[in-house]
Amino acid sequence: MPLKLDFTLDDTTYRHYLNGHPVVMHSHHYLALITKLVEDLEDINGPQILADTVEDTMRALFEDYFQKNSITDSRDKGMIGTEYFSTFGLGKMTISGNEQSGEARLSHSHIDEGWLIKWGKHHKPINHFTRGYVAALFAAVFNSAPRSFSVTETAGMVTGEEQSVFVVKAV
Amino acid sequence: MTVMRNDVVKALAKVTVQSNEQGLIPEYEVLVNLLPVSLLNTLTERLLAAAPDRKPEIEAGLVRAAYECGYHTGCGIITSEIFSEVVMPMVTEDEKDILRGAYAAFTAWGWAKSGIVQLKEGKKMIVRAFDYYEADSKGEGLRAYMLQGLNQAFFDLTYADPYPDGMDTFVCKQTKGLETGDAYGEFIVTCK
Repeated sequence: MPLKLDFTLDDTTYRHYLNGHPVVMHSHHYLALITKLVEDLEDINGPQILADTVEDTMRALFEDYFQKNSITDSRDKGMIGTEYFSTFGLGKMTISGNEQSGEARLSHSHIDEGWLIKWGKHHKPINHFTRGYVAALFAAVFNSAPRSFSVTETAGMVTGEEQSVFVVKAV
Repeated sequence: MTVMRNDVVKALAKVTVQSNEQGLIPEYEVLVNLLPVSLLNTLTERLLAAAPDRKPEIEAGLVRAAYECGYHTGCGIITSEIFSEVVMPMVTEDEKDILRGAYAAFTAWGWAKSGIVQLKEGKKMIVRAFDYYEADSKGEGLRAYMLQGLNQAFFDLTYADPYPDGMDTFVCKQTKGLETGDAYGEFIVTCK
């Protein structure tokens, strides 16, 4: 079941909407610097604040779509989540797993490729944004509460790997 | 003929960005993303709430992210095919008109319903915004970090040394905000 895309425009404010949710365009420079900002705020848990924020906002968006389109099958939910990832321009994601554990892989990644274009390689993975996205997607697919899954990026394109890999475990 | 703002806004507002088979959106010489505004606002709120004593550092980081995004993407926009088609035929006053066109794009693409209310070429600009997504966020004080960065970027692109050597020539300060109860957001760009 492919993701249905409904792009609309408010003629008064010129705000743009995707499936009823206001969205805005930015570039890889923006997300690279936001990622760097949260890394610099590691002492106050900046990377996890970013991941949790992505988990919460994406989860709400997924649930809204599933409800409006009567999506109940877990396979369909997973496919819609990965298609949304691409629609946001964030790259190409595949997921596998069950309620206990799983994996997400990125063959293309806006955040990693953007970081590489801007600054080149880094000594460790930095894709906290996608950690949150994967946590939201697994929780939505398996109807779990927020923070039900821990997500660790075990390989990152920014370190020179061909793909980014995220290991998912039920908490 | 100078730039007919309403015509430009209407024409550019129809432009939509869509990802390629790699799930990426390469446009305007950058990789574009299209994110829910609730995510961006919530992140700002949570970062500021987590470390109120480091507010200046976090605010500076948010403005910087917007500034670099605006500087590089803005250059891609004003040299893009769509800008050449829609805006450039109306340009008769060089930089001034290109800047007007850029603010029409600013409005059309949903960053802020905004326009220039005062311009001293190469010296000072006052911009007012009557709708912008950061005004939806919860918090205290003026907090249109995105618009501060973007306004500075667009003035740098127009009046500082040619891209990419003109960064950080001007600075933008927010003086009013919808988020603090004013009728509009106001932004003043001056020399650093």
